[in-house]
Amino acid sequence: MTEFAFEVLGVGAWGPRFRNWADLQAMLAGKPVEDDGSKGPKPEVIPANERRRAPLPVRLAVETSSQACSHAGLEPKDLACVFVSGLGDTQLTDYMCKVLAGENKALSPTKFHNSVHNAAAGYWTISTDCMSAANSVAGYAESVPLTIMEALVQAQAEQRALLLTFYDAPTSPILRPLLKNEHPFAVSIVISPSKLKKELTQVESLATMQASVVQTSSAWPERNWGAELQACYEQNPVARILPFIDLIMGTEQHLAMPLSAETSLNIQVRN
Amino acid sequence: MDIRLLDYQSTSAAGVNIDALRASIDAQKSGLRKNDLDGSDINTWIGKVAGLQGLDLGEWHSRNNALAHLGYQQGDLRDNIERLKTQYGRARLGVVMGSSTSSIDRTEQAYRHLENGELSAEFRQPQVHNPHAPSLYVAHMTGITGPAMTINTACSSSAKVFATGARWLEAGLVDAVLVGGVDTLCLSVLHGFDSLQLVSEHQCKPLDEHRDGINLGEASGYAILVRADEGHQDTGIRLQGYGESSDAHHMSHPHPEGLGAKLAMQQAMAMAGLQAEQVDYINLHGTSSRANDLIEGQLISELFPKTTQVSSTKAWMGHTLGAAGITEALIAVDALQRNLIPGSLNLEQLDEQLDLAVQSNNLSRELDIVMSNSFGFGGNNCCLVFGRAV
Repeated sequence: MTEFAFEVLGVGAWGPRFRNWADLQAMLAGKPVEDDGSKGPKPEVIPANERRRAPLPVRLAVETSSQACSHAGLEPKDLACVFVSGLGDTQLTDYMCKVLAGENKALSPTKFHNSVHNAAAGYWTISTDCMSAANSVAGYAESVPLTIMEALVQAQAEQRALLLTFYDAPTSPILRPLLKNEHPFAVSIVISPSKLKKELTQVESLATMQASVVQTSSAWPERNWGAELQACYEQNPVARILPFIDLIMGTEQHLAMPLSAETSLNIQVRN
Repeated sequence: MDIRLLDYQSTSAAGVNIDALRASIDAQKSGLRKNDLDGSDINTWIGKVAGLQGLDLGEWHSRNNALAHLGYQQGDLRDNIERLKTQYGRARLGVVMGSSTSSIDRTEQAYRHLENGELSAEFRQPQVHNPHAPSLYVAHMTGITGPAMTINTACSSSAKVFATGARWLEAGLVDAVLVGGVDTLCLSVLHGFDSLQLVSEHQCKPLDEHRDGINLGEASGYAILVRADEGHQDTGIRLQGYGESSDAHHMSHPHPEGLGAKLAMQQAMAMAGLQAEQVDYINLHGTSSRANDLIEGQLISELFPKTTQVSSTKAWMGHTLGAAGITEALIAVDALQRNLIPGSLNLEQLDEQLDLAVQSNNLSRELDIVMSNSFGFGGNNCCLVFGRAV
């Protein structure tokens, strides 16, 4: 069984009330965070004319990716990345399916190219001049453990740091009965293999962890954060990153996440 | 690490399986037809797979899943997966599918049958209306219970599945991986590419002076990847290298100098430990768009000598988008198996700005190393290199 020893070097966050890593930590610790009323981030890394055309899932993903890289003290262009959205851009799906169900089927070319699942990875690499490998994956209920596993495998194979970005916007009304997500949510994490950390950055590691894949099934841990965070955790597949955030904050030491019907991703905090 | 292809199959308009594809290639017979997709009046040609209408997958139904299903019935794929499940245990097998449309065909259909503005009962399929649908269905269909992940990086999706599958095997997460790709013709892609003015009214003519756009197609394809030295009777074909890169340029237009594509090819050759002159054949991305073929063709002349033969095989089944990566990787692999390079079908007069070793006719030649290029929207590139096991 392969063990992956890795460091968490940076975190970015944007969602209901929280606009950054400090806000998210406060909310997870049960402290009040005021809502500034924003409906979505406006990441400065995307040039203004492109930002106007960038859909909400893209802006969420790029904002937290940018925060996480700054936090880690690393240049975005030096990082390979794995982006995951559990539901896809359902607002664009809704737009396209409505147009295509009508008589005049002419689509907006910009909306069409923005409808690819890798739009966020595309905008990110274009905005940051990043020519590294950019992956964009889907895993529905298992989005979070699959993405962490994929990034750990790649980090180990290529001995490099990786950016992981988990993002989803509220579901469009017609699809909402199936995919019930009400809140925008994005978290980014920068990881590196433990033995590479010293060469990469002067920034202190937020946590040192060890992960492995085991052939046993597991259930998602129960949590009770209350209000919006709890709604995110229960409805939005990518918000299942929150128990991993507990590990970074040190409030939990061990986490088992269901990776598939008969496997789990186990993660342990190492001191 | 020595990663082998244990088995592979391909399903497209050019043939329901590898044997049928070989027959189409030998006869230089295109599978393209005039667009007759329900509800679409676009004047173009498409690569449509026959035999999907009769399939009903119940709660899993979508045209995309039906195509994934049809593809899995071909050749010895099922027998091989069953044998591997017995040998290693079903949780020690993984699934990595690439797709661009996932099951958006079904979502389009659901929107045509709304009742009072809501999804009608038969379309309430949460496992189908999401981008992970292809792997969810393939895991269900095969009974594989190890990790199952979908890669959606547009037209490089099912090339990248080989890189991910190889890494999973190298890390020891699984003992065999079913990698695949599946993408279906639907209104989103036909009208989407039409909005970008990329669709041709004619059969596509990759690399030709008079090419004027792409034809869309649908396909599914699978390969079973295993580690060598575990006693398998594999095909004798190795995945020798892969390269993955980003253009960092534009969402839907390739980098003008093909810098991202160049990086992907250089990485793949470096991983394989090869020099350019050792590459015998490259299956190009070759979409038949003005921009792609010019940029890719010029890059090939810059990087490779004229002893490297190239072709684009998109005039056989169209551009199958998220399934194009594996469809064309397997055409390159099969060229290696048969020592037969498929021609660049429909090529009459090479673009005057290009200088390539390319011809429309097939070419018999001893091959040792083949390569396949896939480039997608968002500037997402992947290059694969295959060779023979020594």
